[in-house]
Amino acid sequence: MPVVELVDVRKAYEKKVAVQQLSLSIDAGQMFGLLGPNGAGKTSSIRMMMGITMPDSGRVSLFGKPFERASLDRVGYLPEERGLYKKMKVLDQRVFFGQLHGVSAHDARQRAVDWAKRLEIDNALEKKTEELSKGMQQKIQFIGTILHDPGLIVMDEPFSGLDPVNASLLERTLLELKDQGRAILFSTHRMDQVEKLCDSICLINNGQAVLSGRVREIKSRYERNHVIVEFEGSSSFLNSSQIAEARNYSGHAEIRLKPHADAQKLLHEAAAVATIYRFELVEPSLEEIFIRTVGGKVDA
Amino acid sequence: MRNVLLVAKREYLEQIRGRAFRLSTVGLPILFAVIVAIGYGSSLGIGAHKHIVVASTSPTLANDVRNQLAREKGGSDMDVQVIAPASPDIRAQIIQQIQTRAIDGMLWIEAPNGSLPEATYISKSAGDFMTGSRLHEALDNGLIDEQLAHGGVTTAQADALAKGVPIVTYQVNSAGRVVRSDAQASFWKGYVMAFLLSLTTMIYGMNVARSVIQEKTSRIFEVMLATVKPSDMLAGKLIGVGAVGLTQIAIWLVAAGAIMATPFASVILTGQFSVHFSWFEGVLFPLYFVLGYLLYSSLFAGLAATCETEQELQMYMPLAAAPTWLSFALIVLIMNDSNSFWAVAASLFPPTAPIVMFLRMASEIPPLWQFGVSIALLVISIFATLWFSSKLYRIGILMYGKRATLPEIFRWLRYS
Repeated sequence: MPVVELVDVRKAYEKKVAVQQLSLSIDAGQMFGLLGPNGAGKTSSIRMMMGITMPDSGRVSLFGKPFERASLDRVGYLPEERGLYKKMKVLDQRVFFGQLHGVSAHDARQRAVDWAKRLEIDNALEKKTEELSKGMQQKIQFIGTILHDPGLIVMDEPFSGLDPVNASLLERTLLELKDQGRAILFSTHRMDQVEKLCDSICLINNGQAVLSGRVREIKSRYERNHVIVEFEGSSSFLNSSQIAEARNYSGHAEIRLKPHADAQKLLHEAAAVATIYRFELVEPSLEEIFIRTVGGKVDA
Repeated sequence: MRNVLLVAKREYLEQIRGRAFRLSTVGLPILFAVIVAIGYGSSLGIGAHKHIVVASTSPTLANDVRNQLAREKGGSDMDVQVIAPASPDIRAQIIQQIQTRAIDGMLWIEAPNGSLPEATYISKSAGDFMTGSRLHEALDNGLIDEQLAHGGVTTAQADALAKGVPIVTYQVNSAGRVVRSDAQASFWKGYVMAFLLSLTTMIYGMNVARSVIQEKTSRIFEVMLATVKPSDMLAGKLIGVGAVGLTQIAIWLVAAGAIMATPFASVILTGQFSVHFSWFEGVLFPLYFVLGYLLYSSLFAGLAATCETEQELQMYMPLAAAPTWLSFALIVLIMNDSNSFWAVAASLFPPTAPIVMFLRMASEIPPLWQFGVSIALLVISIFATLWFSSKLYRIGILMYGKRATLPEIFRWLRYS
């Protein structure tokens, strides 16, 4: 039974169609990436899952039942536009939001303290929001998303505003929650995180799903014609006739080979002019697939 | 209902703990007391001691005017010096003294034989109409005294005539009994209650609007909407802020009660402006506050959802506050006849009903059916406004970037 399911969902605002015929489903214990360029319809889709807006047609189900507000007590939501009461104490806010989800004040307080310790932010609990940095506010907001122990966690750009240390902390936490059986959906532009964390993705563009499925299965659809080279010495081998496109980042090159190109020949050419530390034939990255799929069709 | 109460509780506690609540709870009564004290002091002439010269070609008339000024209430605040008979040269010298502020003003009376005198008042201050008015009355009375004295009436008889006959006012109350009334005290009581009602209604209506805008600009709505229905959010906000208003009114009433129990209050309770409150007024005041507050705050909340900043909201405020201004503009009409068509209509018309009803009550308690109709109409219009505002609120709070135009607002109403 999917935890969340959208079937042929459509949403239009006056003349602008934000989402059309979108279908997706997420199971328990699955991490799902909702991807797409700016204005593609990601936030509109998420808002319909959360009952903030209603679809014009199609069906939204939560926990196997047609959408009903009571189900939202089992959903944690981190919107793209973060919101905290500036003048209110952090702990009081977490208790308030916990209570809105049906958790008792005592339990909400205890859980907020526990999570704050885990996310290394317990010294902020007695402060007002306006006294916190953006990254700290982000972590506080995340605690609010999971405080009521939701079965479904929906996050819009959860990593924005976090430094690498805190982003890594959040990644580990999400993986733990996933292992505990939570269904997790997040939208992001960070393809490296999607690749690391997500089991499945749905790429939407102009409100329509243009690519969806399990990450491994999607990547296997593409030819293994990408090469990563780490080297020292001349980069003249990047002009090889085997190469369709190359990006050189000072000793780290990402290369796309021409169709049916000979990778071994390229390795010989490279070894002749430089010391090679790494030469790896890889599938295209999700970023590459993203750009190839929506490239040239992205809204300004 | 759980979420409505949680939202209401949060609003209530946040506002009660805020500095603005403490300041307004203590500050407003103090400010009000200071204004009343200044007004009362001004009426007694405190801080307005004047030195006036009455100069005339007729010594008798000049002295009569001085006597009139000395006899009137508050006359001790004015030093009156008589120069008579006075010539144009003396007039020029006195004007010189006004210029140097040695004196405050001069009443110059030319009294040719056989015709009415001509009077001019010259002072440094162009806006001193109070003194001008007192001098005008004194001159009129002085002339009458003089004319009566010519006709054989003694000064004492003339004074008694000039003093007039005081009229003691009574009114027939709803039980049919004739009871003593004090029109001035009643007026001020009604005025103060109407003023407090409009002030608290507007202040707390604005608080709701400010709270909506703050939540919109802090982007907290989206998290809230994922848990709470917009209508529950709106209801919680109205209940929470309204409860803050009632708390503040309760504090003021308790404080007023405590002050009334002191010997100091005996001056107010038994003096010229003695004021008494009935239980009926005690029930109606909070009731009309709640109804007026709900009407205005639900309207303000809807409008606030269409705005991005408090500055934008200010543009709507004159429109929203217009019924309050209209209510006070009707004061003279209501005081003249509290049962006139317009007075009754305004006390039934929901936006003006809370204030006008209290202004009417100052003159006479309106029939009970009119209270019933006005309360029923208020309740109906509150529900209509809530319906309208919750539609605006539902869409408006998710719209960021710019203030909605009127055509956009109409489209929201159609789509939501």
